[in-house]
Amino acid sequence: MKRYVLVWAGLLAIVLAEVLVTFARPATLVLLALLLALAVVEAALGLLYFMHLRYERRILLWSLVPTLVIVFVLMGHFFPDAFRLMHQRAP
Amino acid sequence: MSHGAALAASEPSPYQIPSRKLGIWMFIVADAATFGAMLVAYGYLRVANPDWTRPFVFWPSIANGIVMTFVLLSSSLTMVAATLHAHAGRTAASLRWLGATMLLGTLFAGLHLREWVSMIAEGWRLFKNPLGGSPLVGATFFSITGLHLLHVISGVIVIGVIALGFRRRRFTADHVEITGLYWHFVDLVWMFVFPLVYLLNAR
Repeated sequence: MKRYVLVWAGLLAIVLAEVLVTFARPATLVLLALLLALAVVEAALGLLYFMHLRYERRILLWSLVPTLVIVFVLMGHFFPDAFRLMHQRAP
Repeated sequence: MSHGAALAASEPSPYQIPSRKLGIWMFIVADAATFGAMLVAYGYLRVANPDWTRPFVFWPSIANGIVMTFVLLSSSLTMVAATLHAHAGRTAASLRWLGATMLLGTLFAGLHLREWVSMIAEGWRLFKNPLGGSPLVGATFFSITGLHLLHVISGVIVIGVIALGFRRRRFTADHVEITGLYWHFVDLVWMFVFPLVYLLNAR
């Protein structure tokens, strides 16, 4: 149980870091990158420890995680269109 | 038994986990793709609308979000305790932790609904922005947090059903663990919703 309490404390510390970074007021793109990186670390901790993926056979992790990553990357292919729309708007 | 069925019966499962556990993992992957699609769509709309407004100030919105995050993270810890006790055969202790998880889940939903009510009182609607910017701010906020809230409420109900069945010995420790996987997933989704929907829209 001690290990899980440590993970919980670590996750809370990351949430605190996210709030501090936000109110340090960096540029939006920098903030987005930092928040996403911290959220991915949180997700990894949650998956590996709370969801016990660390203790399952490796093939389960390698079947699930890359599949999702590919799906998210494919979704990202639409993103440049948002910049096109932004520049198309009348001033 | 046919030759194919005999082969399937003799071949060990590649994942070596119960079918129902593999089933919940398949559900989690599909649900993660759903939330991923919603968050990507939100990001797309946010970038494509230069008149996007940032509705959240530190007090009370972000502070409330921090408390909600603390509550949900703590509920994951109580769920882990419930699973560990269930596998150790300590039914009463497991039931107590399941109860604590339900309580924290209900508290999270209550805090969330209170926030919704105060935003609606300020004039926020699905397609209305009282700050005068893009109306899609409300649309994305209510749809993403609404879908997550639906998952939390469903989770609390499911934990209640599983706890009742576990007490009556109709369900096993495996059922508690599988419900826990769903609950941790709901927590994990919030780890993306809080920074991307709340913090990125803080004034």
